[in-house]
Amino acid sequence: MLIGTVVGNVWATRKDPTLVGVRFLVVQPFTLDGKPSAETLVAADPLGAGIGERVLVVFGRAARHAIGKGHDVGFQCAVSAIVDKMELQDGRTIGQVAAQDEPAPARTA
Amino acid sequence: MFLGRVVGEVWATRKVGDLAGKRLLVVQPLDDRREPGAPKVTPVVAADPLGADLGQRVIVAFGKAARVATLGMDGDFAFEAAIVGIVDELDAPLAPAHWNEEHDPVRGAP
Repeated sequence: MLIGTVVGNVWATRKDPTLVGVRFLVVQPFTLDGKPSAETLVAADPLGAGIGERVLVVFGRAARHAIGKGHDVGFQCAVSAIVDKMELQDGRTIGQVAAQDEPAPARTA
Repeated sequence: MFLGRVVGEVWATRKVGDLAGKRLLVVQPLDDRREPGAPKVTPVVAADPLGADLGQRVIVAFGKAARVATLGMDGDFAFEAAIVGIVDELDAPLAPAHWNEEHDPVRGAP
């Protein structure tokens, strides 16, 4: 599982029949230093996540289960949750969208 | 499986039903690159049946192992990574120094 930000929607007309009716998003993995990760991934989305939202992405059996169309389907990556909040050890709070992120509180020596 | 350090916790309201009640922790692999400008490894989110604390080093497993460790059984569940061990002690003399630190001083003790 990983956290990522939804950066796009994908549509395809010619596709594997098992993908009909499944919504697909482009997701950019979250990194601790905030630099964009080099790779993005495509995830099926049963929840209706919007652009800019942070989501939890699962793989394999968990992803097929999340979509609920059985296990003989042509994808292996899916959104399983839309993140409300993520609290990091360094004090930062990561919100559902980047505008809700809060920096670490200033340390008093 | 890999060794990582717990660096955060995630909350979500809108989620696939069987994630309800699961504690979800953000785990950064220990073999993260520390050199300035080096590409970061993407942290993994893992279910936590053991109650790991922020800053602790943990063993993360995937797939069936993760489901069995969390629920005692395999099945259709919407997660595939779990903390299966909390590291007491690690003897890895050739590893970078931060591997052997009890709590990570760079990111702060919890």
